[in-house]
Amino acid sequence: MAQTQVEIFPSGLTLAVEEQPWNPGVALQLLLPVGVTTDPEGLEGAASLIEGWLWKGAGVRDARAFAEVLDDLGVRRGSGSGLEYTTFAAQFLQDKLEAVLELYADLLLRPQLPGEGLEAVRQVALQELASIEDQPSKKMFTALRREVFSSNHGRSAAGTKQGLEKASAEVLGQDFANRFTASGAIVALVGGISLPAAREATLKAFAAWGGQAAASPAVRLNPPHPVHIEQDTSQTQIGLIYPDISFGHPEFYSARLAAQVLSGGMGSRLFSEVREKRGLVYSVYASPGGVKGYSYLSAYAGTMPGRADETLRVLQGEIERLAQGVSLEELKRAKIGLRTALVMGEESARSRVASITRDLYLLGRVRTLEEIEAGIAAVDLERINRYLSANPYHNPWIATLGPVEVASVG
Amino acid sequence: MTQTPTTEFKQTVLDNGLTIIAEVNPQAQSTALGYFVKTGSRDETAQISGLSHFLEHMTFKGTAQRDAVAVNLEFDVLGAQYNAYTSEENTVYYGAVLPEFGPSLLELWTDLMRPSLRPEDFELEKKVILEEIELYKDRPSTMLFDWGRERYFAGHPLGNSVLGTAQSISDLSLEQMQTYHARRYTPANMVLGLAGNLNWEMMLAQAQELTAGWVGGEAPRAYPALRSRTGQAREPYAKATQVYMALMAPGVAAQDPRRYAMSLLANILGEEGNSRLYWALTDTGLVESVSAGSDESDGAGLFYVYAQTDSANEAQVRAILQDQLEHLEQGGVSQSELRSAKNKLATGLVFAGETPLQRLFSLGLNYVYNRTYEPLSETAARVEAVSLAEINGLLESKPLSQSFLYSLVPAGS
Repeated sequence: MAQTQVEIFPSGLTLAVEEQPWNPGVALQLLLPVGVTTDPEGLEGAASLIEGWLWKGAGVRDARAFAEVLDDLGVRRGSGSGLEYTTFAAQFLQDKLEAVLELYADLLLRPQLPGEGLEAVRQVALQELASIEDQPSKKMFTALRREVFSSNHGRSAAGTKQGLEKASAEVLGQDFANRFTASGAIVALVGGISLPAAREATLKAFAAWGGQAAASPAVRLNPPHPVHIEQDTSQTQIGLIYPDISFGHPEFYSARLAAQVLSGGMGSRLFSEVREKRGLVYSVYASPGGVKGYSYLSAYAGTMPGRADETLRVLQGEIERLAQGVSLEELKRAKIGLRTALVMGEESARSRVASITRDLYLLGRVRTLEEIEAGIAAVDLERINRYLSANPYHNPWIATLGPVEVASVG
Repeated sequence: MTQTPTTEFKQTVLDNGLTIIAEVNPQAQSTALGYFVKTGSRDETAQISGLSHFLEHMTFKGTAQRDAVAVNLEFDVLGAQYNAYTSEENTVYYGAVLPEFGPSLLELWTDLMRPSLRPEDFELEKKVILEEIELYKDRPSTMLFDWGRERYFAGHPLGNSVLGTAQSISDLSLEQMQTYHARRYTPANMVLGLAGNLNWEMMLAQAQELTAGWVGGEAPRAYPALRSRTGQAREPYAKATQVYMALMAPGVAAQDPRRYAMSLLANILGEEGNSRLYWALTDTGLVESVSAGSDESDGAGLFYVYAQTDSANEAQVRAILQDQLEHLEQGGVSQSELRSAKNKLATGLVFAGETPLQRLFSLGLNYVYNRTYEPLSETAARVEAVSLAEINGLLESKPLSQSFLYSLVPAGS
């Protein structure tokens, strides 16, 4: 596997390139550390509005001409603004690299930000926010994160109605200038390109880009307590968040493997105890997640209201039973599962470029496949069980959503 | 990537009638394989509605050699990325593993195609299916298509629900499932697909041996005439706070050579970011989202538009949608729109060949419908060859004038 080559330019822009000479395609991911966590107070949703607004014309082109020139180049694209960052993903053929970077530079350095375009973006954003009402699991997780964080990390990525309605063109234009800066931004490329060509094209396109990134806010937590949202749904939604350890921690891979034992495959503990043995749910899982500076293990189950108490009890019981340790067979399966996912993730340029960008954002460097494999291999049964017994998952934040309250375990 | 000249296609039909196909790519990092069973909700009667999907779940519950727990553990021991799905007309079991585990994955899936269907597993899994039905009730965008298709296809089996209803699932018996399995999972009605890094001769010999005892003949499918519904239906749904619309119109079948033109037409009408409906509805802030697509089935096809909007915009969205469709049907598309759509699809096809699992799906499904192999390079050439006359020819029969607009709206709106 090719190594990722990383350079940080004087502007603070990071370039990461992984060369795949056999690949006629290129996957690009551009990340800016701008999201709802750094939205100004009372203007929650501002970053998301700006992201939509950027597409309303850039450089010499209006919105339609801009979309058409990207289509002419055969660029497939997607973009969005979330909790902590805004990303722009694109896939194209290798000979289009320079032209594509020039266009994304137009988007980020020379957007037209027309007033009438903003009103349309605002209407779409308000509808997106409203539609969370029709997605019970998303609504439950939004409420759960609000319970976990007292810092801005508890905000909804969709913003607030008030914030979306209040943001004026003038305020957003200023906010764009303040936050959409080169410093902290990442350009990652995977595919049939070379580092020298990528460096030259990136430097040329983004030469005029400067500015200081907004500082990411410190994480602050609320004490755990359960919250219930009453809504007349067919299924009760159950969500749990447990504190976990982050990348830099020496036992990081012990925790990753434990999560794999819990929810890595259909033979994992949650699937087999909650669904296979008891038939309580269609969907149940736990997965490691987090924000910059704070990691957690989140878990989910959806079940009919009459079975919600039992489902929560079994789900929570299985997670907390990890403290008693895992078996050698479980550890072996977890290792194979993680390793296979790693190798297969390498097969797709799109998934590779996304994990490079994620590593750079969260860690400031890109982990190699060898490093991750060594980290996994170094965890033996004694080590993982010692870790789990010393660091039990307990005392979670709990959110439920459904027609009746769910009895939580003390 | 799979477009390299080293990719090789293999096929054979075993004596028992099972078709085996493979796209071998020695450079791939993984092996993908799966069974494509030509059966789904369209092959069910009202009495057994939801059975194909329920059977797909039961397939994981074990065989004479393995119980349910052993099955799940074995997949995990292989590090397999695997699953299954059921549609109106196919039940597909698939997985990808590192190449050294390919033979084990083949043995496992092949064994599972002859499940034990034990009564205790049947009763337990019924509960899981009932939960799945409840899950989708909370998602208006899914129910829109489940109910919308039933109404649009107006008695044609393509309108049959994949999940069935809580009532139909509760009423199902194990005997009905055993009979259905014997009738539909015959070797002649299945295709074993392989893709990626694999040894064809070895896998073939292995499959031959493992399926030597498989029996069963043809599994016929009914193709009644389709007289689809036209007009509109607007129904309140207590679980919707937004308005969900699906416009359904005659499309092209999976066997129809015009399917390449049809996907380009859908792209021109409804692609996110740059299409007629995008500029008319999203760019103006009238919808949360809008898209168009072509759903190609066995002997029939559906062309659809999906839109999600706030109640306040509903009337305006309907009017604009109607206007856009009339405009498209009367005026056709332009050369530059066609060029643009082709460019986007061409890039998409390069990325569609990245992983063996992605290849497996197009390889297997295309074979089920057309009994041919189409390498990615040929798909790309066929897309490129679509002419303006061909794409506008799709509009000559005025399909959009025969459309049915189905909406779910908030109760009381």
